[in-house]
Amino acid sequence: MNVANTSYPENRPENTPDHSLIPPCQYACPLHMDIREYVGLVSQGRIMEALQVIRTGNPFPSICAYVCTHPCEDACRRSQVDKPIAIRSLKRFAVEFGGDRMVLAEAETKHAEKVAIVGSGPAGLACAYYLKKIGYPVTILEAHSEMGGMLRVGIPQYRLPREVLDIEVQRLTRMGVEIRTNTRVVSLDLLFELGYKAIFITIGAHQSLRLGIDGEESLGVIDGATFLREVNLGLKPSLGRRVAVVGGGNVAIDAARTATRLGVKKVSILYRRSRAEMPADPKEAEEALEEGIKIKYLVTPFSIKRENKRLNVTCVKMKLGEPDESGRQRPVPVKGSEFSEEFDTLIAAIGQAPQTPDDFGVRIGRGSTIQVDPSTLTTNRAGVFAGGDAVTGPATVTEALAAGRLAALRIDDYLQHRYPLPVKEAKEKLSGDLLPETIEMIRKIERVEPPSLASEVRAKDFETIELVYGWEQAINEARRCLRCGVGAEILFQDKCATCLTCLRVCPYHVPFLDESGTIRIPADQCQACGICVAECPAKAIVLRKPFDRRQVTEELDHTVKSAAESKTKPLIIGFCCQYGLFGTGTLARLWRGAKAGVSIIPVLCVAKVETSHILSAFETGAEGVFIAGCGEQCARENTTYWVQQRVEKVRKVLGPIGIEPERLQVFALGTAAEDPAEELDKFVEQISALRLASVIKGEVKS
Amino acid sequence: MTVCDAGGEREVSFLHNALQLAQTRSGDGAHTFSEHTLKRQCDPEFLELLDEKTADVDVILSLGCGIGVQAIAERLPDMPVLPGVNTSFMGMTKESGVWDERCAACGDCRLEDTAGICPITRCTKGILNGPCAGTKNGKCEANKDMDCAWILIYQRLERLQQLDKMRRYYPPRNYRPIPRPRRIVSKVDTVVGEGDG
Repeated sequence: MNVANTSYPENRPENTPDHSLIPPCQYACPLHMDIREYVGLVSQGRIMEALQVIRTGNPFPSICAYVCTHPCEDACRRSQVDKPIAIRSLKRFAVEFGGDRMVLAEAETKHAEKVAIVGSGPAGLACAYYLKKIGYPVTILEAHSEMGGMLRVGIPQYRLPREVLDIEVQRLTRMGVEIRTNTRVVSLDLLFELGYKAIFITIGAHQSLRLGIDGEESLGVIDGATFLREVNLGLKPSLGRRVAVVGGGNVAIDAARTATRLGVKKVSILYRRSRAEMPADPKEAEEALEEGIKIKYLVTPFSIKRENKRLNVTCVKMKLGEPDESGRQRPVPVKGSEFSEEFDTLIAAIGQAPQTPDDFGVRIGRGSTIQVDPSTLTTNRAGVFAGGDAVTGPATVTEALAAGRLAALRIDDYLQHRYPLPVKEAKEKLSGDLLPETIEMIRKIERVEPPSLASEVRAKDFETIELVYGWEQAINEARRCLRCGVGAEILFQDKCATCLTCLRVCPYHVPFLDESGTIRIPADQCQACGICVAECPAKAIVLRKPFDRRQVTEELDHTVKSAAESKTKPLIIGFCCQYGLFGTGTLARLWRGAKAGVSIIPVLCVAKVETSHILSAFETGAEGVFIAGCGEQCARENTTYWVQQRVEKVRKVLGPIGIEPERLQVFALGTAAEDPAEELDKFVEQISALRLASVIKGEVKS
Repeated sequence: MTVCDAGGEREVSFLHNALQLAQTRSGDGAHTFSEHTLKRQCDPEFLELLDEKTADVDVILSLGCGIGVQAIAERLPDMPVLPGVNTSFMGMTKESGVWDERCAACGDCRLEDTAGICPITRCTKGILNGPCAGTKNGKCEANKDMDCAWILIYQRLERLQQLDKMRRYYPPRNYRPIPRPRRIVSKVDTVVGEGDG
């Protein structure tokens, strides 16, 4: 009878549910992607699996990898410590190294009801992707000559290479989505007559807002959306020498940078507020400045006059007044501050609105947007759904993808005559900021930015600016993740004797005694290092995700089983950290071409290796056991210290059992100048010698 | 349950693993080991939970303190019980992994006179009337890392303005052969009233 842990059979940690919380990054993502999971997989060098996780939550990850505005990074709690995780760049790394372009999407047609999608922007493409996956025949109708909507005609090539978009469109074609370009839809009735049972309107917001000033109709004045569309569809408008772009959003920056790439030497952006209020992505604005574009803040054009084939633009200086309804300070003209400047071209990029044909018969709301029920995306017409910029006004690619996905699910509900059930989040959201004492103890690790083309090279043509991480860079960046919401919890309160071990061993001062004298481990502070889990004398603490609880035990069982099957006992068993250590290549050769007789048990941080695990490793018959961790390079605090404590404890009992304590070793990166792989080689030699000695001793005895 | 890393589920599993390993390595005997953790071993009600589990057990190794070992022995008259820990003292945690002795349960408490610092456990000699000649720079001659209890007592009495207590003479402790109380009874024998029987 060898029954471990018979005291609480129903409470065995491996049988307990997933109590992880939704991290802020995932909550901020319009697509609710499992960011923590894929960043974690990248940090372990498991890129293919990371891509799988990404593809589960995102129909077109390659596109997002280039152009996502990453609200996840804004929500990332690492920014309270130093800088947020470079999530978008890590996704880019995962799609490039994981081979996203090679992934085949397949779909079977299971339903007879045809669905028409009007517009091929991100919302339309996403809707088509999911509807086709569910099994509907789908047709995309696109007014322009090429697919992609704003992805094609709005976003410049240097931000999104066209082959990335082409691959996604091709994938849809392979799935069997019917695509009709150069097809402008003027009436929905006609589509219904053609046999479509549901229509998704996703026509975007392509109509530029007017400046509303004198001379706006002059030759040489063009709007941002039209300008970008012309360039992106292959035209080369002649702009002259001096170009002014009016506006402070991403379209204004895109237009200015596109003008630079068309050879214009002097490009200035006129923005009526100050830098702090500018809605454009700060990084984009920074890059524009690097490329020699001037940004004039608190300036707005007042009137335009065309003289001598040039534009004479009268501008006025502004100052910031009372906050408006958007919370930003309203710009107010400064009296008598008028000045004139000459430009060859003026590009007005102050915003866009949708332009929905009246014949669609859908109700239009504020800002010319189509009115829908936000939870079902239904319009006032039966069978007509709408989403994307046409509904929200100009927004982000990710929001459009999320709208497309929602539309696909709701159209499915509609066609199957199901009542649409509201999506209920099964898990709780992690809330709360990190406390100063927690922040103080978290290791500061510099954010690794992906390389990019030098500004003088990139401003010449439309080459993609941002390059992809190298293997080592990506893994080091991913290791910075704080893994919010998967930390420790006291799962078995009845076992807790309030011994305070967790409070004392936590490097981050997270556990605390509440007023009633009960110990608490707040989920929003825990850094999931696992030290308290391995130290709790009552085994009352577990990590919130079942995988993290079982991982070491499962991997150990696996090694034991495969050793039993092969009938040759492992010479040496090593518990090796998977974060970075192998990925960055320091011990990679150990991992890949494992030495004969060395079995590696991958662990997610050596702090999770418990004394029992070490004894179990010896129990398999191993001659030596080692633990290899990241030492000083570990993203967590004190992990090596606790491993050494446990090793000393085990060594004390090894002696009386008749096992030399030196058969158990710890290797940590950064603590010694030596190469850990070399140290390990020595260890292997030493163990072999010990075995030889014991064999000889055995023979002498007999 | 444990608060001092002696006993408790983790220590029990650790010992279980170590025994298993020792048996495998020695290559003799075919003992089977099982483990079980109780909230407390010193209460007979908890020990009832053991009855079923020990039906086919030959010997029990207890990671309880001396009381736990004896309680099991009392509960299971035919079962040999082995102590798994050597209970050393009543102490407190200084930090994780460091424990200090603080009470000898001598039944002769002087803490009121010694400013709350016990000379019995904290002085190497357990002397009652001021420091010996071996104190140096506030440390004990027997162990230079340990504070001299009597220096601590003096300093604290000084703080509390009770130095006069240092001037008193405390007679030697009672080392009679059987000084221990052996039983404490706090319940009161109630008188059964008439008409109850």
